[in-house]
Amino acid sequence: MCDADTIFALSSGHGRCGVAVVRVSGPASGLVLSSMAGLAHSRTVPRTARLRNITDPRSQELLDRGLVLWFPGPHSFTGEDSVELHIHGGTAVITGVLQALGRLPGVRPAEAGEFTRRAFHAGKLDLTEVEGLGDLIHAETEVQRRQALRQMAGDLGQLYHDWSQRLIRCLAHVEAFIDFSEDELIEDGVLNQVDSSVSQLQAEVERHLQDGRRGERLRGGVQVVIAGVTNAGKSSLLNVLCQRPVAIVSPIAGTTRDVVETHLDIGGFPVQLSDTAGLRDTPDTVEREGVRRAMERVELADLTLAVLDSTHLPKEHQGVPGFLLGHLRTLLPAGEDLETALRRCLLVLNKSDLLSEEQVASLQSILSQAAELPPACLLSCRTGHGMDHFMGALQKQVKSLCGDPLSGAPSLTQARHRAHLQQCVKALGQYHHYRDLDLALAAEGVRRALTSLGRITGRVGAEEILDIIFRDFCIGK
Amino acid sequence: MLPEVYHGELRRDKGKISLMLLRQLLLKPSIIQPPTSRTVCGLPHKKYDVIVVGGGHAGTEAATAATRVGAQTLLITQKIQTIGALSCNPSLGGVGKGHLVREVDALDGICGRAGDWAGVHFSILNRSKGPAVWGLRAQLDRDRYRQFIQRELLNTPSLTVLEGAVEDLLVSDPNPDQPGQHRVTGVRIVDGSQPIYSSSVVLTTGTFLSGSLFMGQTTSPGGRIGDPPSCAGLSHTLREKIGLKTGRLRTGTPPRIFKNTVDFSLTAIHAPDKEPTPFSYLNKNVWCKPEEQLPCYLIRTTPGVERVVMESLHLNSHIQQDTKGPRYCPSIESRVLRFPGRSHQVWLEPEGMTSELLYPQGLSMTLPPDQQLRLLREIPALQRVEIQTPGYGVQYDFVCPTQLSPSLQVNRVQGLFLAGQINGTTGYEEAAAQGLWAGVNAGRTAVSLPALALSRTQSYIGVLIDDLVGLGVTEPYRMFTSRAEFRAALRPDNADLRLSVRGFEEIGCVSATRYKEAVRVRDNLTDALSALQSISMSAPKWKERLKDVNISESKSSLLSALEVLQYKGVTFEMLTSALPEPISAYLDLSQRLKIEAVYRPHCEMQQREMERIREEESLSLPQDVDYFSLPISLSQEVREVLDRVRPQTLGAATRLPGITPAAIVHLLQYVHRTRRRKGTERRANN
Repeated sequence: MCDADTIFALSSGHGRCGVAVVRVSGPASGLVLSSMAGLAHSRTVPRTARLRNITDPRSQELLDRGLVLWFPGPHSFTGEDSVELHIHGGTAVITGVLQALGRLPGVRPAEAGEFTRRAFHAGKLDLTEVEGLGDLIHAETEVQRRQALRQMAGDLGQLYHDWSQRLIRCLAHVEAFIDFSEDELIEDGVLNQVDSSVSQLQAEVERHLQDGRRGERLRGGVQVVIAGVTNAGKSSLLNVLCQRPVAIVSPIAGTTRDVVETHLDIGGFPVQLSDTAGLRDTPDTVEREGVRRAMERVELADLTLAVLDSTHLPKEHQGVPGFLLGHLRTLLPAGEDLETALRRCLLVLNKSDLLSEEQVASLQSILSQAAELPPACLLSCRTGHGMDHFMGALQKQVKSLCGDPLSGAPSLTQARHRAHLQQCVKALGQYHHYRDLDLALAAEGVRRALTSLGRITGRVGAEEILDIIFRDFCIGK
Repeated sequence: MLPEVYHGELRRDKGKISLMLLRQLLLKPSIIQPPTSRTVCGLPHKKYDVIVVGGGHAGTEAATAATRVGAQTLLITQKIQTIGALSCNPSLGGVGKGHLVREVDALDGICGRAGDWAGVHFSILNRSKGPAVWGLRAQLDRDRYRQFIQRELLNTPSLTVLEGAVEDLLVSDPNPDQPGQHRVTGVRIVDGSQPIYSSSVVLTTGTFLSGSLFMGQTTSPGGRIGDPPSCAGLSHTLREKIGLKTGRLRTGTPPRIFKNTVDFSLTAIHAPDKEPTPFSYLNKNVWCKPEEQLPCYLIRTTPGVERVVMESLHLNSHIQQDTKGPRYCPSIESRVLRFPGRSHQVWLEPEGMTSELLYPQGLSMTLPPDQQLRLLREIPALQRVEIQTPGYGVQYDFVCPTQLSPSLQVNRVQGLFLAGQINGTTGYEEAAAQGLWAGVNAGRTAVSLPALALSRTQSYIGVLIDDLVGLGVTEPYRMFTSRAEFRAALRPDNADLRLSVRGFEEIGCVSATRYKEAVRVRDNLTDALSALQSISMSAPKWKERLKDVNISESKSSLLSALEVLQYKGVTFEMLTSALPEPISAYLDLSQRLKIEAVYRPHCEMQQREMERIREEESLSLPQDVDYFSLPISLSQEVREVLDRVRPQTLGAATRLPGITPAAIVHLLQYVHRTRRRKGTERRANN
């Protein structure tokens, strides 16, 4: 497969790391090397690190000073010309470099798994390595989906969605005009409406791109959500973790009704911790809304702490793993397969102080043998028993999530959105350019604009366009 | 009724004018077939390569295509006189549909040439909207169209035509090694004492599969008015014995009215193009003289029409049964019901040079006949109109096309191919396109050549078939240009470049004459484009030579003649007179060169996406795989979708709703692994 585009991505973790690695692959890698690091690829020694000033190719502004490596194809991971930039790990530096890359012609942020896919197509991976590719892409798309959902939940999402709807309608009307206006009665002025809609959209997207302020503050860090049935001790866990009373705790079930959020530093990594309402059927409308929000948070979480009251476990300890699995099945998002969901979960069995020592020992031995369960910690928020073990398990999970370059890295998502929006604006320009010359090519512009926007808001198929055509116009045989 | 075999003369005199014309044709010695073994008694003992059932647009293309790839072919039709009949509108082509006609022609099909011979009104729709969406269209003379098709069939060597009704399909019992897998062995015809055997069968039964006709409150079995209903045996075998999933669709046709009862002073005349554009790449001209073309007439519905529809709804069982109708509106009833309070366009189309009838396109209806007359007379131009044949509706079974492969072969019956309305499509052109492709593959497999698929990146036929077998249908499928994602590359002007060369070199359904012409055009276009590319001048110099063209002088770099040709208003003729270089040799291609100059840069941009799709299309997924036990990581939801649709290629799987990128990679890996294993086994066996 020939890939004309050049792609880039942050390939190191985003947590509190000293060095961030940005990878670039594709034919324009040489351009990246010359325009951002001032190195001519013909005279650069391959696979050798050099300390360079890294500058914005447009403004010539210094972005960072870092190591630059040049891997001419085919001797690179992807088989294509590649560049690696090792820069300082701060968010501002990373964002600056990614945005500068995205502004170079023919260079765009990588799709999920795209580096690996290119390597695969270049014959750089053997079959055993490919086996991991599917899982990798699944993980990456899953992370991106959650990330997109987080961003899309707010005003920004509403804005993109609205643009997409308007663009679909524009395209449907142009297509209706092309396919049917000669035989059917398509009112005059349909195209004039499209003209003004397209201009307006173009102006709005451009204004949005120029707006230096972020559309909304992006949530950074690993999203950890505490969830479980009522009165399991979720809020107590939050307070223990924060070492201060952030949430009200009481023996009354249903005390927490809304999501309580706090920012934490766990093992050096940024974490956003949310405590949620206990899950139960309730006639109380306020509490019911709290439950809905809780479920939504679990859906968006990178890591779920599933809290249970250990006195509620089956007395017959052999049945505990089955009971826990059943419990998790109802708690974790139904949209994905359980196996994947379990990997992003920690079991917290609270109130161990209410169990006898024999019960604790028996439970612990059962839990340590249950391989199908996520890591489980038996603890007591009241006495602090088992907390050290729990903190260790939590740190391990958070660390591995932060090592994933995609999880919760808003700058990367933002760079991707930016690139797609820029392509969208450019494609809309094609509509105007060809509007009076060739309507088929003008429509092509709207189609491409919709495809670009669709990479943020979801794909649009031919049938959706036809739906609108047949809804808005009377099309005979 | 004894089956009739056609060999040089008709035995029974049933029809009227059409039959006389047919007879006239037959008297010409040049087109009489040598009566080799074409007798009733000779038939049952012969085994054919291909049997085509049905003589409509799909059947005639299928039969002729099968013979072109070298198959001994038998076409069985209920009535020889209705071969090539236009049972609905007297027109061919249109936006999207004209693309299909051009592609069928580029593969040496017959409908394009028939259209050129029978057309009485040619016009290119969408003339102002860009060559990629030009819609070649013609009003046809029904008699001439039928004559041409019948003559073409009779002139086709190794094609036998038999009049008869097919009673049943012969299929072998399932192979014990491959449960559910049958093989077709031939057909049985009504009153035919013995079966007729063949390697392949193409079914093109149109609306005759459990068809029923609707008019007012009366219903009768049948697929077309005036024709006997087809045998229930075929439906039964497809559904019960083979176990194919079927669905039900509706269509309809308007009443035919007498021309001399229309007040043309109350219509708007629509004139044809002054210079008719032929459908066929082989034709420089059409039969009809430009100045003798017939006009169409435009009229509009009135509130009275809407009133009649609403008042007679209770008498209209076709519409009452309309539970899940199509999203577009084939009948005037559905137009009125879905878009009330509007005036709808109606075209009065000529039925032929000498015909006394008009076809009111847009007034398909199923009211009782007296109400039909009442409705028509609500339109001022039709105040005194008389109806010759009332309109009626048809409901019929179709076979869910997801059970077919991209070669149009039924997955579980080796040798059985389906084409046309039986696959849930509507329209002559859609039927012809499928017929041609089913015929090609029925013929190829019968003579032990591999079946082939057409890519959606290369043709509308590919888009049509890929949509059918990949996504299935919920309403009659009709071609629109918006269905083709590579519309800029799949233009009506370049179907010969896309298909004729491959049609000869790989598919084997294109004659050497057509091939040579396509290669000549291709080479000349390439030469002319590189000649244009090689001529460069500064913007002021160009301005000097092309005075009226708006070339910006601020351009600092040199402009090639190819770039200048992209400008609005610049034609190839202007360049030949403005430039000293000898490019005038290519003047016959001037229109195509202008189009290529504008479109080529866009097509090159899409090249990468096309290659990706072609690559995925080429990776076929095994058809017998059990997706629920497949030892790869797929979610239950994905497994269910894959099991339900059973996509045949990775490309088709990609377009399914609910399939994730990760699932595609897992499938890719699976395909690679099984391929490799098969390769190893083959080596071991050798």
